[in-house]
Amino acid sequence: MALGDSPPAPGAAGAGRGGGAEPARRARRVPAPPRFGTGRNADRLAPYVLVAPAVLVLVLLRLVPLFLGVNFSFTGDGDRDGAAVGFDNYTELLRDPVFRTALKNVGLLVLLLPVAVAIPGLLATFIYLRVPGHRLFRSVYFFPAVLSPVIIGAIFNLLLAFDGPLNSALEVAGVGPVDWLGDPDIAMFTVVGVHVWATFGMALVVFLAGFATLDGTLLDAARVDGASLAQVIRHVIVPGLSRTIQFVFVTTMIGMLTSMFGLLYVMTGGGPEGSTYLPEYYIWIQQGRMNRPALASAASTVLFLIMLVVGLAQIALLRRTGRED
Amino acid sequence: MRGPRAGRWLLAAPMALLALATVYPLVFTGNVALKSRNDYIRDRFSPARSPHWDNFATAWTNADMARYFVNSLVVVTASVALLLLIGSMAGYALSQLNFRGSRVLFLGCLAALFVPFQVIMVPLARMLVESGLMDTYPGLVLAYVAQFLPFTVFLMTSYYTGVPGELVDAARIDGNTLYGVYRRIMLPMGRPALLSVGILDTLFCWNDVLIALLVMQSPEHRTLMTGVTSLRGQYSDNIPAFASGVLIAALPVLLIYLFFQRQITAGITAGATKG
Repeated sequence: MALGDSPPAPGAAGAGRGGGAEPARRARRVPAPPRFGTGRNADRLAPYVLVAPAVLVLVLLRLVPLFLGVNFSFTGDGDRDGAAVGFDNYTELLRDPVFRTALKNVGLLVLLLPVAVAIPGLLATFIYLRVPGHRLFRSVYFFPAVLSPVIIGAIFNLLLAFDGPLNSALEVAGVGPVDWLGDPDIAMFTVVGVHVWATFGMALVVFLAGFATLDGTLLDAARVDGASLAQVIRHVIVPGLSRTIQFVFVTTMIGMLTSMFGLLYVMTGGGPEGSTYLPEYYIWIQQGRMNRPALASAASTVLFLIMLVVGLAQIALLRRTGRED
Repeated sequence: MRGPRAGRWLLAAPMALLALATVYPLVFTGNVALKSRNDYIRDRFSPARSPHWDNFATAWTNADMARYFVNSLVVVTASVALLLLIGSMAGYALSQLNFRGSRVLFLGCLAALFVPFQVIMVPLARMLVESGLMDTYPGLVLAYVAQFLPFTVFLMTSYYTGVPGELVDAARIDGNTLYGVYRRIMLPMGRPALLSVGILDTLFCWNDVLIALLVMQSPEHRTLMTGVTSLRGQYSDNIPAFASGVLIAALPVLLIYLFFQRQITAGITAGATKG
């Protein structure tokens, strides 16, 4: 659990038990400056000097743009550049069918989220239970997670082309060709499927780290009592891993909302018929192609709010189910 | 749950299938990359008869990949070096030195982890234009540092929290200033974490396409991943060359994965379990 695995292993706060999130509080004080007080004035400033570059970067390049962006979303584009326009950009967003599709797709992602979490969760459970070959599975499953979405998108463009290998394989099996990326009703599912294929290994590794903190005696007790696999998962593993599950839910959702750009860019370009737009893609198109930065900022603000709501809702939900157990 | 044996083999079968599905796309691409054009058109699945290594040469030279490769290398190296320097300094201060505002700063870093790049990208682009950094290497490096610093600081802080205080005290008694402690204790002690975080930051920067597309607009400044996105149009009628180009771009990452798999997973799980 420590990075790398040599000596100064941190107190290894397990996901199961929480804690450890606030190192600063546990930290010791700076050794008191010598009473006879010559010299070490520089040391009193040292912490500030050490964090100064980080603070500078975070404030100038993260915090300021965040505020500028929100501000910006209430101004106009083009002729009305810089002029205050109130909520005009937001009403335009809501009227834009493309942005509506993007929001609908966010809804779809939320619905698919449990699946995207359950797959790595189940696989991690099996690996933890030492299915034959578990070591191999673990490293093979993880490997697509290191590839760029651009590479993955390019590879799947080959595989999923209408006259491509997957369809010719399906043809042999007697199933008609499917227009994976060209059918507006299918394309979004295709892209999400590829995204899950590419990232489930990441969640798997996180789950396995959570399992490492699980109390083995509980599992043994369940086995002695003759519990089935499903019962063990429901009554031992899920409650024991509630914090890990919560973490995976949140990070998977964030991943779906903010790291599918590469796939969309390479695989569909938002098409067919705008059916694979997500807010992040919409932002990029409005900023880079349509020269509508203010409208893009409004979409950014909406995306930020979505992330906030989704994150808080999930945490609240999981807290509640956690308490019922 | 450790038994019965038959049950476990029953689970292993679908898992092996899934493992196959995980590697097959890359194997397929590798095979295509070694075929001649005609060979590919005739049969996509059969193993390449005589490997056509010249596809790789074609992609490398005709698609200007050498230039993109160098661009990526320069930008990623500079970004990761800066990230590690700034991140380890801040991580040391936040974990070992209790100063006014340290908690606020740490929580700020945590919060920044949840603000995606898409949310700040429009104003950031404008700031880069106004400061003359748009379409320059420093501009892209700054954007990467801004994007991945919260993660870097967070992991370095978690790691340095585990460095025993006695070590720091001993170094202080030996007459080191706090900067001396950073240089002589924290940097060497932090090596495993710096390696893990450094590799993850390298992957993030190398694999990125959104930030590179936003900042680098002239074709000669493209990074490798941006270059790959334009391969498809270039080689729409020469799929083997296209596949070769994609593999060239993936190769550095595949090597990193082969050699540093442990560090990569360690970094990810540390991020998860400390959260």
